[in-house]
Amino acid sequence: MALARTHSVALIGVTGQVVEIEVDIANGLVGMILVGLPDTALREARDRIRAAIVNSGEQWPQRKITVGLSPASLPKRGSWFDLAIAVGVLAAAGKVPRSGVDGVMFFGELGLDGRLRPVRGVLPAVAAAVQAGFGQVMVAEPNAAEAALVPDVRVIAVSSLTGAADWLRGTPGLHDGWPVTELVGGQLPPAARALGARSSRDGAAMTPDLAEMLGQSMARRAAEVCAAGGHHLSLLGPPGAGKTMLAERIPTILPRLDTAAALEVTSIHSVAGTLPPQVPLLTDPPFVAPHHTATKAAIVGGGSGIIRPGSASLAHRGVLFLDEAPEFSRDVLDALRQPLEAGEVVLARSGVTTRFPARFTLVLAANPCPCARAAGLAEGCHCSPSMRRRYLGRISGPLLDRVDVKIELEPVGRKELLNDRNFAESSQTVARRVVQARERTAHRLRGTPWRLNAEVPGSELRRTWPPAPGSLRVVERSLERGQISARGLVKVIRVAWTIADLAGKPCPTQDECAIALGLWLGIRR
Amino acid sequence: MSPVTSRAVELGERTLARAAFTYLAEPADPALGALLGICEPEEILAAIKADMLPGTGPGCGDRPASRAALELALARWRMRLPTLPGDADLAAACRDGIRLVCPGDPEWPSELDQLGPARPYALWLRGSADLRLRCRRSVSMVGSRATTGYGGHVAGEIAADLSERGWAVLSGGAYGVDAAAHRGALATKGITIAVLACGVDFPYPAGHAELFAAIAADGLVVSEWPPGQHPARMRFLIRNRVIAALTCGTVIVEAGERSGALNTARHAAELGKPLMAVPGPVTSAQSAGCHRIIREWGACCVTCAADIIEMLSPVGTADALPSAGGPDPHPDLRPHEDLRDDLDPDSVRVLDALPARGGAGTSTIAVDAGIEIDTVLRCLGVLAGYGFIERGDGGWRLRRST
Repeated sequence: MALARTHSVALIGVTGQVVEIEVDIANGLVGMILVGLPDTALREARDRIRAAIVNSGEQWPQRKITVGLSPASLPKRGSWFDLAIAVGVLAAAGKVPRSGVDGVMFFGELGLDGRLRPVRGVLPAVAAAVQAGFGQVMVAEPNAAEAALVPDVRVIAVSSLTGAADWLRGTPGLHDGWPVTELVGGQLPPAARALGARSSRDGAAMTPDLAEMLGQSMARRAAEVCAAGGHHLSLLGPPGAGKTMLAERIPTILPRLDTAAALEVTSIHSVAGTLPPQVPLLTDPPFVAPHHTATKAAIVGGGSGIIRPGSASLAHRGVLFLDEAPEFSRDVLDALRQPLEAGEVVLARSGVTTRFPARFTLVLAANPCPCARAAGLAEGCHCSPSMRRRYLGRISGPLLDRVDVKIELEPVGRKELLNDRNFAESSQTVARRVVQARERTAHRLRGTPWRLNAEVPGSELRRTWPPAPGSLRVVERSLERGQISARGLVKVIRVAWTIADLAGKPCPTQDECAIALGLWLGIRR
Repeated sequence: MSPVTSRAVELGERTLARAAFTYLAEPADPALGALLGICEPEEILAAIKADMLPGTGPGCGDRPASRAALELALARWRMRLPTLPGDADLAAACRDGIRLVCPGDPEWPSELDQLGPARPYALWLRGSADLRLRCRRSVSMVGSRATTGYGGHVAGEIAADLSERGWAVLSGGAYGVDAAAHRGALATKGITIAVLACGVDFPYPAGHAELFAAIAADGLVVSEWPPGQHPARMRFLIRNRVIAALTCGTVIVEAGERSGALNTARHAAELGKPLMAVPGPVTSAQSAGCHRIIREWGACCVTCAADIIEMLSPVGTADALPSAGGPDPHPDLRPHEDLRDDLDPDSVRVLDALPARGGAGTSTIAVDAGIEIDTVLRCLGVLAGYGFIERGDGGWRLRRST
């Protein structure tokens, strides 16, 4: 009997499932068949693998080869099963020891010449393999650093099928030019760490800083509140007022990702193929700014073959910035409602349902009118009030309901610019406050499913965490005057909690409620 | 007379007689009303029991009505004599939170005296609130039983607002607008009073048993009929005059052309009490009655609690009235100089730092006022909330009206 068994991982979204690959060589018509729901890319593996084996100087068994991928019901997509199948063929033919392939997970695409190419999604695949009890993974050399992010795994980095066969035969590096590197997961070598743990904050000169938002003290305060409470933000203002500038600076005051979050974010980017080479671990909160012509699939994820994460998932634990929000198609904006609610994108396709995490801070930016000329100037805009209303009305109410902080940015005058120099704080200073505020929030919310103030539903806020008695006097006054609605009241309370957390107070008092109200009323109506 | 309990003695001869009238005669009986104007209640009761024509004894002066009418009335009252409980039982009725209030008692609302001969003989109360005190700042809110969603919503909202501002909401305890008004007032923990056309212990409609219990907990359930009495069609109309008379004004929310609420409205108009109506869609048959009383009877068109309070308060005092901890009904009407006194010193400094014309950025304000930015942000919130400032071109600026 010539049967060999190897293992690889099929990815559904960012979760992996171990796939067992059985290769049987038997008498019969010469050829190779693949069974177990392979897609087109995988069906093509037949020809790639044959060429790779032959070009690696190995012998192709001139018999009937049956390759079974199980579980058979799971659709398998992509080209990263190549290595596992090729090794399986070699093992079944007795070219490499069958015992050597046990406990090893193979992940890589083969070139016709036998070289191993890097693939996407290595991190979640390796994580799944480790979870399933595999101690060793074999990946292409460029993927090695990424694979080594997972603790408790031995990463075997090879650059060709020859190298892989050498290692399996117990003679690594036998053939010149095909070295084998072994890494231990969770312990990056110093060089890789320096590269891998690259932080934009270390290169201070290059990175944006909140202090550059001179003359926009309300906007800086709003950004700080949003970062601390996880609130979504809406920015309104003419071109050049600093909307994009502010949005880009929000990630600089967000806390660095902890290990779990960093691995989660890196997994998503790994699947999407947007991981920068040689920078395996993303430790900074991502900033994603899709163009307004983006399709629904580009924003929430999708695709017919391999389902890829969209901008909403790429911005997981970071900032999703929609510049010119009214220009986005209504479909796209409304598709964001579900991830905003659930913190993940659920994509259902025939045969498989994929989930991508998508818990991001949404920042919407809009011009006050479609012509986007600065208001108040002589050559100012000619948009009628109804045109302006229609323009801003394109952002649907349910989406705006999720936005807790709205501010209006205006071009800054010279006087304000000079005066504000007294107050501008660096990102580093603000980030420190944000971290402390988030700790206080998490401490207060322990035992609940929420971790940030923005996630607490309004009903729960009123019931369990009302502000100090009497502190809502001014806000109620405003409610009476019709300046804010009942829904606005809830948002003011929610933001007041974040401000209290930032100030280190146990409960929002009249002061915090007044600041929150000021932020809410700080837009023209 | 039969032996009396100590409690009944406490009630007094006069009170017992008035309690007996609530059993023997229908309210607003013209003969009894006229008699009560000239004779003492206990004398009348004694005469009825003795089958003598009351009001004919010495010192009664002219007889109030023709002898024939009086004889008919006497026969009518005597018919019910067997149903009259003994004095002990009458006293027993005044337990379980039920009590009796008669003219002359400290708790008797003097507004009812406007009804003249149709004044109730006595009122049975369930609940501990002081009827006279509560009626001094009260509004009756009545309307259709078959209300639309609009009517129920408006009645509830207005009632809640009124009670939040310390006004008692009085209604008839029926389905529809009545229930919405009671519930609205209860929702804000306010005082609400239900005037029923049956005994205060008899839940009619039956579905409102819990509502009445909730009303009696803090407010009052009131009736002219003694405990245990069932409602009858005529009794609702008789009851309506009490609803109109007890309160400072009457608001009609959703009444059809033939609604019983219009009967209450007529009583209010006859008594010279402010009559108000909440308009509805002109296409709605449910609001046709409201529109008619606005058009034909000169009812005031009101849309919110503030309108009602303004209507019922003496000229110029609407805002000076003490409110029960609630917000002012017309914040915009208060002179700004008064509001300024409420501001903390920092907010005043920020307000003074704002330029008279045009706007100023937050940092400029902070520098001009000499206050750090966090405090300025707080003060800006306070000032915007009170309506002193608003956001405009060039940042924050003074509101034009200030």
